[in-house]
Amino acid sequence: MRNLSQFLYRLLPILLISAGGLTACAPISPLPAAESQTPTSLPSQPEALANEDPIAESPTSAEVNGKLVIYSGRSEALIQPVLDAFRSKYPKVEILIKAGSNSALANALIEEQSNPQADIFITTEMFTAQSLAQKGIFQSYFPKGAESLSAEFIGPNQTWIGLTRRARVIMYNADLVAPEELPASIFDLTNPKWKGQVAAAGSTNGGMQAHIAAMRKLLGEEATANWLKGLLANNVTFFGGHTDVRKAVGAGEFKLGLVNHYYYHLQKAEGSNVGIIYPDQDEGQIGLLTNITAAAIVRGAQNLPAAQALLDFLVSPEGQKLFAEGNYEYPLLPGVPLREGVTPLENFRLAAIDIPSIALDLEATFKLMEVVGLP
Amino acid sequence: MLRAIKSLPFPSKPLPFSSQLALVAGLVALFVALPLAYIFLRALSANPEDWLRLLQTRLWRLMGNTLALAGAVTSGTLIIGVSMAWLTERTDLPGRRAWRWMLALPLAIPPYIGAILHLALLRPRGGVIPKFLEGLFGFPVPTPSPLGFWGAAFILTIFMFPYVYLLSGAAFRSQHAMLEEAARSLGRTAWQTFWQVTLPALRPGLLAGALLVTLDVLAEYGTVALLRYETFSSAIFAQLYGRYDRSAASILSGVLVSLALLVLWSEIKLQGQARFTQIEGNWRPVPLILLGRWKLPALVTVLLVIAISLLIPLLVLLAWTIQAVLDPQTLSQIFRAGPQGLAQSAWNSLWTSALAALFAVTLSLPVARLSVRYPSPYTHFLARLCQVGYAIPGVVIALSLILIINRLVPILSATPHLVVIAYVLRNMPQAVRASESAIGRLSASLEEASRTLGRTPLQTLFEITLPLILPGLLAGGALVFLTSLKELPATLLLRPAGFDTLAVRVWVWASDGYYIQAAPAALILLLVSAIPLSFLLHRTAMFQ
Repeated sequence: MRNLSQFLYRLLPILLISAGGLTACAPISPLPAAESQTPTSLPSQPEALANEDPIAESPTSAEVNGKLVIYSGRSEALIQPVLDAFRSKYPKVEILIKAGSNSALANALIEEQSNPQADIFITTEMFTAQSLAQKGIFQSYFPKGAESLSAEFIGPNQTWIGLTRRARVIMYNADLVAPEELPASIFDLTNPKWKGQVAAAGSTNGGMQAHIAAMRKLLGEEATANWLKGLLANNVTFFGGHTDVRKAVGAGEFKLGLVNHYYYHLQKAEGSNVGIIYPDQDEGQIGLLTNITAAAIVRGAQNLPAAQALLDFLVSPEGQKLFAEGNYEYPLLPGVPLREGVTPLENFRLAAIDIPSIALDLEATFKLMEVVGLP
Repeated sequence: MLRAIKSLPFPSKPLPFSSQLALVAGLVALFVALPLAYIFLRALSANPEDWLRLLQTRLWRLMGNTLALAGAVTSGTLIIGVSMAWLTERTDLPGRRAWRWMLALPLAIPPYIGAILHLALLRPRGGVIPKFLEGLFGFPVPTPSPLGFWGAAFILTIFMFPYVYLLSGAAFRSQHAMLEEAARSLGRTAWQTFWQVTLPALRPGLLAGALLVTLDVLAEYGTVALLRYETFSSAIFAQLYGRYDRSAASILSGVLVSLALLVLWSEIKLQGQARFTQIEGNWRPVPLILLGRWKLPALVTVLLVIAISLLIPLLVLLAWTIQAVLDPQTLSQIFRAGPQGLAQSAWNSLWTSALAALFAVTLSLPVARLSVRYPSPYTHFLARLCQVGYAIPGVVIALSLILIINRLVPILSATPHLVVIAYVLRNMPQAVRASESAIGRLSASLEEASRTLGRTPLQTLFEITLPLILPGLLAGGALVFLTSLKELPATLLLRPAGFDTLAVRVWVWASDGYYIQAAPAALILLLVSAIPLSFLLHRTAMFQ
């Protein structure tokens, strides 16, 4: 009928305007203004000029403001304390974080390449960073004070920078497992003796993906596939993330858990009777697998000064100390002390991995997980 | 007395067909059907190798898992829903008025929040109850596990049965006393009467309820992911989230949507065009059945259902919230100063859901009007097309929006508008149904009279039509608002950085195992959801 369609023609613009109005006021917090620092709730200045003219030295805190969009593969709870510390130094920066899996965020970055939404990408393993760097997603930046970092922790053309290192370990519930029966290798996890008693992170977890990618490189496709099939045959329970694993082991739901080393420390700190095994240390075994976490500035970042300031902060002694203290990780900056109770990596035989070549194989790793049917 | 008639709200005389209205309605239907078409296109054009790989590895297992869960939950909700409705509508159960509310209110609790609670309480060896029992007896006592198939079926059943409860309750209530009396006078026993007369008359309500439950189970992500039971929805989510393998995700989505369409289609076939109507003239309610010595067991059963589906979840959330508020460190984590606080998440939830409700209802108007006032195969098809949103799970809507928007309208990508669009697409069916029934109840002759008396079409719309159908539209809007508030997977996948809703907040905390931190957001979500829900319940005959 004519009347309705006419009505709709008139109504639609009104709706669109009101929709625009609604979203426009969305970012304004309904919190009492006193609760937040008032300057941050003001609309930010566009940082378009900064794009053409990257600042060589670290910007001072007065110049750094506006919105900083971070895509983080680290879970929100683990990165937030570091970001809070950053914000107390640069209170004018408003941090918008999207936490998710490394691969989902990486693909979002590829998708948005022509229309970048993020300023910074933080990942829990360097393979994703490496493969994104090869696709030209990142821009070069060498953070202030990063000179003392070992060269292997810096991406090609300084496209990404390593932050911390974590070891892939087995944690166990000391109430349920006697010292003499402890496994010594990740291959023991496929032993029927542990059937239904092992928890690990599943195929969507960056740490696990990197673990499998590294094994593929060290042992080849077939041996890795057999190991995964062995885990599946042993009724290993695969969780979405390691926090679930550590809590389940801590509670005694499982005897063993394949995790990053700091999950053992976090669970121990909560009062659980858990132990840690650094696996595969004997001659002929693959050695301790480690992951490097990394951060990079996205090419076309809207807020370059803030992104650079954050990268500077993350590799500064202060930032590195936060990772070491707050999350028991191994800082990459020499001279930053480990948290008490964390065993130095020098005590272990580390697996020998050539990172750039693994990054290229990431897709094959995904395919392997798919074929094996890793949940 | 009981007969099937062709359902026509008002005898329609041939009205001049409005091509403008048809065009607008067609555009709306196109908009709604776009994700569906796109997913099918992607699924069919996917690499045959990917199809083969999925067929060899996971497709059949996922199909079995998904169908088993949908079947179990649908049967479970039918049993609990119908028996609860019978008890509160047909018997002299004490306190029926209060129980009615409490049996309907679990609709305000998203099943994934229920799953979080039951997981924290019952998790084998780690849960509150197993730990308590172990402390009490000194050795581990086996408790039912909330994980896996049975856990997921249980959780989904206890939080979805209100759909069936409400629909069958309304049907029980509207039934005519003479129906059953006639059956009894013709020599049927009470039991035979129930199976042969009462239950068949409930069929439309039961089918509608079963349809809602089945489609909701197909779309459910949060619960099955938490309880580690893999269905199509959770597999698609993992594919998108952890691996971003769009080809496999598209294939799985195509199969899932086909499954859902099949369910939708069979409901339409089973329901047919038949409606059970009865002569209204001397309607009187069926006399209540006196429970006698069954009163106590019946009361205990009802209370048990209410306790599990409403009271325990509420109490646990309340206890956790108090715990969170009392611990300064947790409190500061939750009520983080600045723009990402809890209040901001609540505001985001509210405005996206409200906007989605507004858009969905507005867009549904031309479609509903066309199908009610100009019934024809074409208009019928358009209205049906707008119903397919039911069959497209949030995960699939998110996938198609990511794929379509990034190519066609990149300016919208990574904005909250995308989330709103997803809500509109997903909830369009509810809006269309509500608008259809609102317009259907308004006699066309009222509008014609207004025109005859010299009002312009626009005046007629604003002075006659809209005021009269407004309550019906509000109900549709409330329903869209409610389901949008609870929506999780599409929001997770589509939200821009720093944009949280209450549902996302709950999920982010809880999926990392921080239950205490998740509680305040969950409690607020429940309380906010209860508002549109109680508005909707007040409109139904059962609650008047």
